[in-house]
Amino acid sequence: MDLAKIRQDFPMLQEKKGRRPITYLDNACQTLRPQSVLDAVNRYYLELSACGGRSVHRLSTEVAKECEAARAAVARFLNAHKKEEVVFTRNTTEGLNLVANCLQWQAGDVVVISGKEHNSNLLPWQLLAKKRGVKIRVVPCCADNTFDLAAFEKLLDGKVKLVSVGHSANLDGVSIPAAEVIRLAHRNGSLVMLDAAQSAPHQRLDVKKLEVDFLAFSGHKILGPSGTGVLFGKYNLLEGLSPFIAGGGTVSSSTYDGCDFLPPPEKFEGGLPDYAGIMGLGAAVAYLEKIGFDFIQKQDLLLNSFISEGIREMPRFRLIGPAEAAQRGGIVSLAVQGIDPHRIALMLDQMADIMVRSGQHCVHSWFNAHDIPGSLRASVYFYNTLEEADLFVRSLHKIDKVL
Amino acid sequence: MFCIVSFLILAVVGIFNASCRELAREAWSCVFRRVTLRPCTTGFDERMKSRILGSVINRSETAARFLSRNFELLSWTMFVLMAASTLFAARGIYLFYVTGSCSGSSEASFCLFDPKGENSKVSSAIAGCPVKPVTVKDLTLKGVNLAAFPTVKAAGKKRVVLIGCYGCQYSRKIYWDVKQLARDNDASLTFLDYPVKVKTNLMTRLALCTYQHDPEKYWQLNDRLFKAAVTDLDDPAFAGRLIAELGLDPAETNRCLNDPATEGAVSRQMDEVNKTNFFGTPTVFIDDKPFVGPKPHRVYAISMNGVLYWLH
Repeated sequence: MDLAKIRQDFPMLQEKKGRRPITYLDNACQTLRPQSVLDAVNRYYLELSACGGRSVHRLSTEVAKECEAARAAVARFLNAHKKEEVVFTRNTTEGLNLVANCLQWQAGDVVVISGKEHNSNLLPWQLLAKKRGVKIRVVPCCADNTFDLAAFEKLLDGKVKLVSVGHSANLDGVSIPAAEVIRLAHRNGSLVMLDAAQSAPHQRLDVKKLEVDFLAFSGHKILGPSGTGVLFGKYNLLEGLSPFIAGGGTVSSSTYDGCDFLPPPEKFEGGLPDYAGIMGLGAAVAYLEKIGFDFIQKQDLLLNSFISEGIREMPRFRLIGPAEAAQRGGIVSLAVQGIDPHRIALMLDQMADIMVRSGQHCVHSWFNAHDIPGSLRASVYFYNTLEEADLFVRSLHKIDKVL
Repeated sequence: MFCIVSFLILAVVGIFNASCRELAREAWSCVFRRVTLRPCTTGFDERMKSRILGSVINRSETAARFLSRNFELLSWTMFVLMAASTLFAARGIYLFYVTGSCSGSSEASFCLFDPKGENSKVSSAIAGCPVKPVTVKDLTLKGVNLAAFPTVKAAGKKRVVLIGCYGCQYSRKIYWDVKQLARDNDASLTFLDYPVKVKTNLMTRLALCTYQHDPEKYWQLNDRLFKAAVTDLDDPAFAGRLIAELGLDPAETNRCLNDPATEGAVSRQMDEVNKTNFFGTPTVFIDDKPFVGPKPHRVYAISMNGVLYWLH
């Protein structure tokens, strides 16, 4: 793969007049978009601006066709049984909330989560606990912050209705042994939902092979437009869920007394969808397929190893998660001794146009439990270069000397 | 301390730059919390410090390290310097308002509100380099026989003395204003003619002769001379026209003009003017306070009636 050529696909990486191009290392928050995604979004607004599938004119028909093509592309991307298992949402958070709100819960039902969940996979269960008396069990992390499978197994019993865990953590990039987790949960009679926000951009997701029941991810983390997301659900499970946001597009008919809901996925897609976003998401998936996960993972490892090695000599920066870069996907998360990570992030931006994340990354629960105020997180993606990784490391060294 | 300094700077820059307004607001929030003895919660100080360090570090790591380690001290230093410069600026504005010069003296020095120094420009009366530089402080009316000069008497106690010359542009600029000011304030006005720029000996003698014979007509002549084209001021034909215009006796006036005694009187007047130590025209004394250069009207008015002169 010609990295220079790939980078040309991303307008944000091009040199602007009088300014060097940015070094974007905040990909765990959201990725940059290739021109093909921008073109797809623009195409809707420039050529197809209409309500998909609701009117009968040709614009409407064309929009519906494009959106269904995007759904089919996402289904292929996930290796789903059929495209109707793909529900378009606004983001991962909405997908997780949809399941949390639409499954039938009894007081005393248990949800199992991991010890370093994003707020999106923590707060919905806390709300559910308050509203319906659902219990939350948290799987503790191992010493190196990896998933403690043995502890997880011990938490499983007949009361566990759902295991909802992050496939890869946005805190440190560590992935859980998903296949084993799903096997153990299913053996226990529990459903499994994966928060794949961080894994979808970096590893091939095969929902058939994983046999996962629900899986949610966001478009903006896989090169797609902001405000787009996907909830995958096994079709029979989706059929059993009550609707989430009822409204236009979710029913075949209604009377003053009731209505006939459409089958999934329509019954979950109330209101006018983000057609442009969905078309962009379809283009993003197509672009990722073209790049291939082999290349993505090779780049992740190369860049993560380089950065991890580069920061080793600075005792002020302590790596969160396992030492091996191979276990951390595209993320290098650093706890910084004695300095607010926001300060370092601002300095990196100012001195070298490097964009990184700082703070608690919506994993407040983990940081609070470990009494760490925050971390500096650099997250790479396939379009990042070794030169950029080197610039980041050199800049951190400079800052380390100065502060 | 940094937020206070930042607020003051950003508040000013924010007038012209919208992006600085938001920062100024943040800085203000920080300042407000500080002065109410609460910690700043916006993180403004830290963010700005990081941005500054981020810029400096690319130029010099040593400088960045120094800045990082002494940031609070440097902030205090900046604050003190800013407070001092603000006081000086306020003083400069006040002095400009009151004296027409930021430094308060009538000597030319840079002033933002009068960048070209128009308010202190003079037609120099000093040829060559004086042995001892003369300053405004040296100007005085003590020992000067003002009775030897044309004076418009008034009932009031106030006194305005103008040293000017008919051919000098700055004297021409303020003559009318000073005359009106004296009239409005019931002050006596004494005019000391001292030709420094253009050769106006003829007109000086004409003025002296006119004053000796008819003080009323002298002031009419004076007005005409300040209105006249500078090129006419050494023209005997123009003098003849003035004599006719003012209804003076031509024979008597010509005799006086050519009388060596008149020349001597003019010379004595010049000597008398020199006793004031003046170094250029126009020089105006409001009572005993000297102003050198063509000051704005308000400066003379303030000197006469105080800062709230318009209430009089």
